[in-house]
Amino acid sequence: MTFLQPLILWGLPLVLLPVIIHLINRMRHRPRQWAAMQFLLAATRSSTSHAKLRNLLILLMRVLAVLTLLLFLARPLVGGWMGWALAAAPDAILLLVDRSASMEARVAGADESRREYALKMLADAAREFEHASHLVLLDSATRQAREIANAASLPGLPDTQATDTAADLPAMLQTALDWLIENQAGTAEIWIASDLQASNWQPDDPRWETIITAFDSMPQKVRVRLLATTQESPGNASISVAQLSRQQATGGGEVRLAVDLTRSQADAGRATITRTLNGVATELEARVTGQSTRWRHRFAVGDQAGGWGKLELSADGNPRDNITYYRYSDDHRPAGLVVTGSALGPLWQAAASAAGRDGRTPAKRYAPDDVTPADLRDATLVVWQAPLPEGEMAGALRRFADEGGRVIFFPPDQAATARFAGLGWGEKQTSGDAGFAVGRWDEDQGPLANTDEGLLLPLAKLGVRQRQQVIGQAAVLAAFDDGQALLVRQSLGQGEVYFCATLPLLAWSEMGDGLVVVPMLQRLLAAGSRRLQRDSVAECGHVGAGDLQLEWTSIETGQRGDVQTQAGVYQSGDRWLVVNRPAAEDEFERVGDEAVAGLFGSLSFQLFQAQRDDTALQGEIWRMFLFLMLLALLIEAWLIRPGPIPDDAPPKPQPAAA
Amino acid sequence: MPEPSAQPLIEADVVGRLMGQPLLARFPMEGSVSGHHRSPHRGSSVEFAEYRNYAPGDDIRRLDWRVFARTDRYYLKEFEAETNLRCYVVLDCSGSMGFEGEHGTRLDYAKRLAATLSYLIINQGDAAGLLHVTEKTTPDIPPRRNASHLQIILDALGQAQPTGGTQLVPMLHELAEKARRRALVVILSDCFCDGAELRDALQHLRFQKHDLALFHLLDPLELAFEFDRPVRFVDMEGSQSIVTEPATVRAEYQAQLKRFLGKLRDDCHEFNADYRRVTIDQPYGQVLADFLTERARHATRA
Repeated sequence: MTFLQPLILWGLPLVLLPVIIHLINRMRHRPRQWAAMQFLLAATRSSTSHAKLRNLLILLMRVLAVLTLLLFLARPLVGGWMGWALAAAPDAILLLVDRSASMEARVAGADESRREYALKMLADAAREFEHASHLVLLDSATRQAREIANAASLPGLPDTQATDTAADLPAMLQTALDWLIENQAGTAEIWIASDLQASNWQPDDPRWETIITAFDSMPQKVRVRLLATTQESPGNASISVAQLSRQQATGGGEVRLAVDLTRSQADAGRATITRTLNGVATELEARVTGQSTRWRHRFAVGDQAGGWGKLELSADGNPRDNITYYRYSDDHRPAGLVVTGSALGPLWQAAASAAGRDGRTPAKRYAPDDVTPADLRDATLVVWQAPLPEGEMAGALRRFADEGGRVIFFPPDQAATARFAGLGWGEKQTSGDAGFAVGRWDEDQGPLANTDEGLLLPLAKLGVRQRQQVIGQAAVLAAFDDGQALLVRQSLGQGEVYFCATLPLLAWSEMGDGLVVVPMLQRLLAAGSRRLQRDSVAECGHVGAGDLQLEWTSIETGQRGDVQTQAGVYQSGDRWLVVNRPAAEDEFERVGDEAVAGLFGSLSFQLFQAQRDDTALQGEIWRMFLFLMLLALLIEAWLIRPGPIPDDAPPKPQPAAA
Repeated sequence: MPEPSAQPLIEADVVGRLMGQPLLARFPMEGSVSGHHRSPHRGSSVEFAEYRNYAPGDDIRRLDWRVFARTDRYYLKEFEAETNLRCYVVLDCSGSMGFEGEHGTRLDYAKRLAATLSYLIINQGDAAGLLHVTEKTTPDIPPRRNASHLQIILDALGQAQPTGGTQLVPMLHELAEKARRRALVVILSDCFCDGAELRDALQHLRFQKHDLALFHLLDPLELAFEFDRPVRFVDMEGSQSIVTEPATVRAEYQAQLKRFLGKLRDDCHEFNADYRRVTIDQPYGQVLADFLTERARHATRA
């Protein structure tokens, strides 16, 4: 229970007033000489217990009346949001509003989103405090604290509107902590409105412990109230582009898309997708199974050097995650670079050749001793079959990967202690007649993923006779039956580093037929082209600092757009920027009630579940106290009423005769 | 101790109104001289009583010769003797009689009743005496008929003060034993004592053929028990005191009091005693007038 006029509570000792008056009254009784003492003593004996009880009740009613009067004047607020603990209005209330895309999910049975619902509830609750407390808004998209004067304006403020961003709750709380320290606020409350999406709350993040410890060590009391907008929502599906590449085919250019469709329902069916390409919309259908489906789609773009588009799902529970934007261009032609001293050089060159308008261009080849950092400038893929680089070349190769390039290492046929990105080569192993069988590999993504037609790469039939063990911790994309890795991946900046455990030599394996090694290298070649892209691709809220300096115009609307919060395709001069909401926003996983309460440790924490609690966060309950006061006074009046004259009372004396 | 009342014990206008109505006994009295009151003895007097047959040994002077002449039978004519009245006024002077309400103390009221009654009795030629009921040894004033005796009574009344516990019951027993001749016993008391013991004492008096008149004197405040704040009640005949909220015990107090009053009245009626409940806001002259009138009516019926 919170009081809007807490100073009145200082008058609580006044509840003892009736008791004190009663005691004083008893002390100042009049003495009276009395003759009929025998009847008085008998009456007192027989009515003592009843009279005492009645006196106690009268006293209790008077105390209650004063208490309820004081509580009524203090204007108490109560509700699931406020709890029942007694507290005064805080000096500052920080309103942490989750504006992530998932907050745009519609509330079942209501024409509003979770964000709109939360803002309305927060505004209602904060209105009672706007004269007593400083209201500070801190939204998830800008993460900037600003004071607001009027709680009613909260739903209409620009900083509370819908975005395509993700929320970072630990970072928001850190900002709130900084604000409290910087402004030397007194007692404070932090009101959070969020849908408890796990990717936003990041319960495993180590920052939580640091932040809560810092809150705990603050001299003032900080109370946290969480409005969890976890109401039921209508069925929802989201769409995002996982991979995009522009390929040069015989008939002209074509764009290949790998699209992830995530749905709240797990039933099989068909999804209608509207594809917009350079402003022209086409309706498509995709077959979906389960909650998550990767849909591959390709379309010809002829000689077009570049273009933009979007994929859109039909309206559902959350309109915000129904659109994903893409941009393709061919001004960053992929180029391979092969570093080897072995006879496999021509094979690598052919497998890593890049397609162009005038045919295929084989990859450049260098001997390990001849290659220099400058040779990496135009490359998108480096195939390294030689002892691991060291010194200056290792640093150059690391920078190459950091910029988005791809590097794949093949066995140098000799053990060495050198490491690259934490990985190295172990001992060479030779199998018996049966060979090493490939047991499993990642069919969904990576260089060994299924083809656009959904066909598996023939890894299961791949005979491997020799292999060189990969040492170090990395993601395994393909493994032999005995658990040893065939292909591992290590992320390095924007790029990736791969180690393949065998060679396309007959003495080693049957990879030489090209059915595995060619698509693998071609995919890496295309993926590495990101390094040279002039187009920027970013997630909402994570646009690079350099890009933020530019003035971006939305291709769709032709108007200046906020690339930090709104997804879309933007242009600034000859530069393009594609902004999509973070993929994590499509996840449905939520943090449980207990887990979220555990995050706040020993801080005073109140959770209000919009899904199951009342429709109002709080309410003024002065009427109830007024009613109780009147009730107490009525009962008191009834108790002190003069009793009826008993039938056996002595007769009234006769009036005096004249 | 209450101040002696400034009001005179006998008021001329009250006495003037009452003079025309004699105080009569309800039962035959035994006096020493002839008077207005019936005597238990029969003989020659002025009031014819009855005829009865002659029996050997009767005085032949009392034969009614006229009846013998008419009927040829011997009849004796009997007359009812009339004698004077001996009245004991019993004045309760216990502490509780000092109770003072809006209308003065109870004892003052009782004194006025006693004085006026004594005056009326002596004035009509009867004998009046006074008994103080008090813990102290106070000499009784035996009934006398002479006018100077009235002054003695009035002096004694003037000096009477309320004090100590009530000795009404033993005093009444003592009176019943002491007064051999039939007399009128007028009791002026609040009767705040044990009801059963008082009943026995009254019964004892009636057994001795005394005519009883009990003036039960109560203050209106004792009946109504109306107080608006806590009061410390101090016993007037002891050291006991009690602090209470009168409103909480009022009903029970009144119930107890009514039970006591009802029982006392019923007991008096049972012994044919003349019970009169008097609240001291009533004019004592009117109380006495009612008393005398009712006695006269009773005597006429008898």
